[in-house]
Amino acid sequence: MSTRPRSRPANGTIIAGLVVVGLLVLLAIAAAAGADLAGSARRAVDSMFPPQAATAQGQQIRNLYDIVFFFAAAIFLLVEGLIIWTVIRYRRKPGDDELPPQTHGNNIAEVTWTVVPTLIVAFLFFISWQTLNSVDAVAANADVKIKAVARQFQWQFVYLAEDGQTELFTQLLPQGEGGGMNVPVGRNVEVLLESPDVIHAFYVPRFLFKRDVVPGQTNRFEFKLNDNEAGQSFNGQCAELCGVGHWTMTFQVHAMSSTDYDAWFQQQRDKAQQTPPPAGSGEPPAATLELDAQNIAFATNALEAPADKPFAIHFVNKDAGVPHDVAIRDASGILTNGADVTGPGEATDPVPPLKAGEYTFFCTFHANMTGTLTVK
Amino acid sequence: MATTALTPAAAGYRSGLYDWVTTTDHKKIGILYVANSFLFFFLAGLLALGVRAELAQPGLQFLSDEHTYNQLFTMHGSVMIFLFIIPMLAGFGNYIVPLMIGAPDMAFPRINALSFWMLPLGGLLLFTGFLSGGAAAAGWTSYPPLSEDRPLGMVGPGQDLWLVGLILIGTSSILGAVNFLVTIFKMRAPGMTLFRMPVLVWTVLVTSVLVLMATPVFTSALIMLFIDRNYGGHFFDPSTGGNAILWQNVFWFYSHPAVYVMVLPAMGMISEILPVFSRKPLFGYKAFVFATAGIGALGFSVWAHHMFTTGSVYLPFFSLMTFLIAVPTGVKMFNWIFTMWRGKLTLSTPLLFAIGFLTMFLIGGINGAFSASVPVDFALHDTYWVVAHLHYVLFGGSVFGVFAGFYYWFPKMTGRMLNETLGKVQFVLMFIGFNLTFFPMHVLGLEGMPRRIADYSSAAGWNTLNLAATIGGFLIAASMLPFLWNVFVSLRSGKVAGDDPWEANTLEWATSSPPPPYNFDRLPEIRSERPLFDLRHGRAHPALTPPAPDRTQQLPAGH
Repeated sequence: MSTRPRSRPANGTIIAGLVVVGLLVLLAIAAAAGADLAGSARRAVDSMFPPQAATAQGQQIRNLYDIVFFFAAAIFLLVEGLIIWTVIRYRRKPGDDELPPQTHGNNIAEVTWTVVPTLIVAFLFFISWQTLNSVDAVAANADVKIKAVARQFQWQFVYLAEDGQTELFTQLLPQGEGGGMNVPVGRNVEVLLESPDVIHAFYVPRFLFKRDVVPGQTNRFEFKLNDNEAGQSFNGQCAELCGVGHWTMTFQVHAMSSTDYDAWFQQQRDKAQQTPPPAGSGEPPAATLELDAQNIAFATNALEAPADKPFAIHFVNKDAGVPHDVAIRDASGILTNGADVTGPGEATDPVPPLKAGEYTFFCTFHANMTGTLTVK
Repeated sequence: MATTALTPAAAGYRSGLYDWVTTTDHKKIGILYVANSFLFFFLAGLLALGVRAELAQPGLQFLSDEHTYNQLFTMHGSVMIFLFIIPMLAGFGNYIVPLMIGAPDMAFPRINALSFWMLPLGGLLLFTGFLSGGAAAAGWTSYPPLSEDRPLGMVGPGQDLWLVGLILIGTSSILGAVNFLVTIFKMRAPGMTLFRMPVLVWTVLVTSVLVLMATPVFTSALIMLFIDRNYGGHFFDPSTGGNAILWQNVFWFYSHPAVYVMVLPAMGMISEILPVFSRKPLFGYKAFVFATAGIGALGFSVWAHHMFTTGSVYLPFFSLMTFLIAVPTGVKMFNWIFTMWRGKLTLSTPLLFAIGFLTMFLIGGINGAFSASVPVDFALHDTYWVVAHLHYVLFGGSVFGVFAGFYYWFPKMTGRMLNETLGKVQFVLMFIGFNLTFFPMHVLGLEGMPRRIADYSSAAGWNTLNLAATIGGFLIAASMLPFLWNVFVSLRSGKVAGDDPWEANTLEWATSSPPPPYNFDRLPEIRSERPLFDLRHGRAHPALTPPAPDRTQQLPAGH
């Protein structure tokens, strides 16, 4: 039953706080934009939007994002402004002990702020549904079919024949020289997603799209790169936690012009159809190199072998339940690819004669497992 | 009676510690809940600082390997959700709900004590993982097959400890929910009809229904995963005929309603605080109650919006439901604003935190519309954008709400006021730190930074914003120092609160601070949802009702 006047609190504090926050956020964005103040305002706005879409589907998602953003921004400004204005306007004056009008509600207002938001979300749902149907559509027969295999912690891209089943050739490396997913611009590309171990997710930010790679089921989606993207590369990354090497599961998508792609595709296909030269041609290996793998790493990152003579690699995989292998590449591409060994296990891989020089040996399952093979 | 209650408990063999360990008094249990939750809040906060320290710059500098990193964010999420927010709100409910409805205690005081004591035990099990070769490291969502013992998952015995710990915590939740439901339905004081209950009681009621319906489902999933891992079950293992998506369905069937478990009671606390400091009743009380029930009902039909990218759910249905749940949430937002509208606002610390809730939860709520739009979610899912979104809901919403409630009810719990200046310093630091940490994450997510990565390439262009987020994270940590100092100082020498320092509306302020065992000697007449307001400003009924019969005799002794 106290009627003592309450002391007026320091209203300045909250206002000062809000101002400081605003300034800090602006500063952070300005700093992120490289302190170029002229461009930073524009970049601050741009940073609220996804990157420019590289695919037709991504463009549709971007258009939808823009509409949702427009409504969100309008509602945010309206409501946040209303809150701040109310708080500043209706502060209690010192010594003011009179009760404000005891309003318990207002039916018209309450119906309005139930019905109007319902209409807005119904509209947003409707346009989202429209876009979804179009983004999720899969053509009866896509021009290019690729099976993306995600495993801990590497992507491989298997190019499929028109039937969508026959495997033509595989891009063993997810990125870098000769690796990555090469695709033509302006054509429908269907991607089938498979995982032999845990759940991963295929995510390319510039596609504005991701889809989970779930063991036990094959997810698929389709995309068409914009014509003006030929020659560009897009970074992609696993987006679903898949273990200790989750963050290393990166890959690249290379956009090629139609003619470049056809030439590359033909070349790869021919290469895969050639029977590999019989290793060592029956000649006994001049040397056998020892190589161990444990904890997703080779025991050594340097090997030496004699030049112009066949040799062998005795490979021991000590990682229980994990597949490894040993492949050798140079600037021209992959030269040999040893047997897949699931640990614990071992194999002896014959290697044909190599010219003197430096080569890279690596595990096709784990991009971080590499070393230098010196042939002399 | 009030005087006898203030006498210390019988001296002799009962030490203070013994009293706290064996208590069945809902107020003491409530304080135990709150203290225990703060302990885990600080532990999980330290884990988050580890995560932010690692991400401040590209490269693995702070932590030795990704395995440690995975443990840190897994435990951060699990502990914040299961050992901080949910029990913290349950603790406030425990303390305040019986007082608000004029009851002497919870319906089942011993079960109440049991449900509390399962929490520290469960938390201990979770943290024991760090000593047994690694805590759980598969994310708080623990998706199989990763959480099955896959090679390279590095998910060891810590995962089993995590499962058993959560089974205990889940059981605690279920028991607590039953207790709340019975208390609210059977133990209201005369005159306290359902539609005169304070809104906080309503939100606890709906929350308890959610817990009762969803948590058993989750607990069974935990047991199934435990069987998978230890006794050769194959529920979730696709390589032996199980289904990995099944876990996600069951997990989110609980964990999405759990979001409302984590935010509804905080909304209830805001709805008590705003009217008191605006000197007006809550605008649209019934609409608010129906909106709460609506959120509870719709909350059960939106779980698969966490699974839009799995390719295994019927997208339009869950999209529509997720959009629709924005409507009752929006109704509440307008009700809160119009409670303050034309009021007379006293900007004390509880109100500041409540306004922090409104301004920040608004961002988290509007973000929800982006995720509800399936194609937009294809771009945003599992990126830092989602991390920003969930923290704007759970930190900007729930945590600001918890601090609002703490500053508001601390005088009732302890009899002393918290220091206003320190409270405002804490608020400003926390508000700035929070926005500096989580706002840049929206941008990082749009630029394509996925969640749960231990490191990123320097070439990705994410350096500056990550550094900003890390600085913000440490600022949040810094804001806890004035808070702890405030609690420490105020407990010893804070201003004496008196029964009703805020000129509040609800029954807990009609008894002494802290209240005696069994709470009330007598109750004011209850003719609206604001009995104390009526008492203070009503003309016709200035007096208290005659003393109620001494109900303490009907209750078990040895609170």
